Amino acid sequence: MADLRIEGLCKGWDFPVIDRLDLAVEEGEFFVVVGPSGIGKTTLLRLVAGLERCDAGRILVGGRDVTALPPYRRNVAMTFESYALYPHLSVFENIASPLRAQKRPRSEIETTVRQVTDMLRIHELLERRPGEISGGQKQRTALARTLVANPEVYLLDEPISHLDARIRHELRQQFHDLEELRRVATLYVTHDYAEALSLGDRIGVMGAGGLVQIGTARELFERPGSLFVAQHLGQPSINVVEAKLRSAPGDALTCVAATGDGQGGEGLAIPVADAHRAALLAGGIDTVTLGIRPQFLSVLENGATAGAGAHAGASGEAGAGREGQSAPLHGFEFDATVELYEPLGATGVLLADAGGVPLTALTAPDRTFDYGARVTLRLHPETLLYFDPRSGASLVQ
Amino acid sequence: MSEANYRLVRGLLLAFLGLWLLLTLFPFYWQIITALKDAAETNRTVPTFWPDVWHPRNFKLVFAEASNFQALVDSFIVATGNTLASLVLGTLAGYAFARFPRQAGGENLAFWILSNRMFPPVAVLIPMFFLFDATPWGTDSHLSLIILYLVFNMPLATWLMMVFFRDAPRELEEAAYLDGYPPLRAFFKVTLPLVLPGMISVAMLCWIFAWNEYLFANLFVGTEVKTFTIVIPTFTHGSQTLWNLQMAFSLIAMLPPLVLFVLLRRYMVRGLSLGVVKG
Repeated sequence: MADLRIEGLCKGWDFPVIDRLDLAVEEGEFFVVVGPSGIGKTTLLRLVAGLERCDAGRILVGGRDVTALPPYRRNVAMTFESYALYPHLSVFENIASPLRAQKRPRSEIETTVRQVTDMLRIHELLERRPGEISGGQKQRTALARTLVANPEVYLLDEPISHLDARIRHELRQQFHDLEELRRVATLYVTHDYAEALSLGDRIGVMGAGGLVQIGTARELFERPGSLFVAQHLGQPSINVVEAKLRSAPGDALTCVAATGDGQGGEGLAIPVADAHRAALLAGGIDTVTLGIRPQFLSVLENGATAGAGAHAGASGEAGAGREGQSAPLHGFEFDATVELYEPLGATGVLLADAGGVPLTALTAPDRTFDYGARVTLRLHPETLLYFDPRSGASLVQ
Repeated sequence: MSEANYRLVRGLLLAFLGLWLLLTLFPFYWQIITALKDAAETNRTVPTFWPDVWHPRNFKLVFAEASNFQALVDSFIVATGNTLASLVLGTLAGYAFARFPRQAGGENLAFWILSNRMFPPVAVLIPMFFLFDATPWGTDSHLSLIILYLVFNMPLATWLMMVFFRDAPRELEEAAYLDGYPPLRAFFKVTLPLVLPGMISVAMLCWIFAWNEYLFANLFVGTEVKTFTIVIPTFTHGSQTLWNLQMAFSLIAMLPPLVLFVLLRRYMVRGLSLGVVKG
């Protein structure tokens, strides 16, 4: 068994950083911790590695309590954000370091290092010093050093965040392919939500004090437990609008969004989906924080009524499955004025003003919008997210 | 600036540097030619700037007394012994101050160690003599000087090593722990190699201080043990100072540090700049 269990972990200096954190990472699982910088992600890894002593709680690796053990007895391997390669040793010696610590025979060290470096395609660099190789190569060297150690738990600290986009993509692909990582428990820390969504079997979103929500990429994206989670996952960031709940004729309920600047504009009234009505009424509150994913806002040019390309082309990683569910339902359409349009190559980002409410929408890349043009936006009320304006907790599940 | 002005400034600068060079090199030149004169010529009222008669035999004469060579050996033992002790103690203390400042007594203790270098050595000359006189090995031994010079060299070694250790990233040590090395092995595998250039420059500074020390050696040793610095003033003949022999002997005594410097120059430069430029 090579799983990682964390029970009631606490760590603080002048203020609590990690407060009663519980987490279980199973054997073979790739668990990604994502969160804003400075929230304590690295501290969590250092606690598991044994580089920091926890104030309370237990850490179990493969069922063995390692809380009181020093790092070199824990059988965990870690990559550092700064790579932490030994500058005075060759790439080969850097990678061989864990094997030398275990006093393995020379021939075995040789073969193991060759295997790993062939896989990561750094076999040509073995004689060089870390100062003589590029950032991406350093990263792979650090990763190779972690892989040869054959530990029970891998800890990876922002391993690819400092690299340029092409190498990052390549390494991300390699993480998917690495057999070694699929056999042990892996805890991967990043601040990049796309990395988290693409790599994690499960993802934990870290907020102040600990993990706010744990789930698969899709769960977190579609059913965020709080506004914090919703805001942290997704690019461009979710539209957040303060709104009032009003009863509409019949049984219906309408959500009236306040204007962005509090003056001018008549606001925006959006019907509440049938599925959400009961939960919102049960809450007994009249103001909500509305979350609208830019991916779920379709842009129809004035006059156009057929389904625009926006949904299919730009719904993002986790939103792709949404199309099928919402397509048959009629959407809610409203007018808006174009404020800004950024064509980003693969997608376009439109900033529009709907009755004083600023909204961001994701569009297909081949469209153009002029400043001040009138457009029609369409959204499906089922895709809306409702949060408590005070606590930020999700109001509908 | 016009071309003429530029030349003028440049010319003045070169003249100044030339003058400075002359001032720096003149004593050295004087030492060499004096070492090659005979005794009579060194004592002339009007000195000669070039020996009338070359007298290279001085370099042999200084060793007429067999103990004079032994003095160089004694100096070597004291300097090397003291350097090793300073390095070991300074490295350990410097590491502690750099990595565990609170547990190691904090800034105050580190500063107290440095402050030992700040008072005039003469102030403790007599107390030190009585102190060492009470030890089993007495004052007139290698050990007494090796220990005594620690008062001057250990603070230097501690502080310089502390700076070098602070510049050596802690994460590298942590990476070694995670590779499976216990602290002591991690220290030798990762941290020590990183500060080695610095250590060599510290060793050079300590060695040269101990090699050249005169004040304490003159008071402490002289019978069982003699360092070369206290031998130099003994080259006299009646009331006459034998400048030629003194200069010849000090020239010979300059050779070991010179050889050391040439051999370790590469590390020395790297070490001295280590604390200034990171990475």
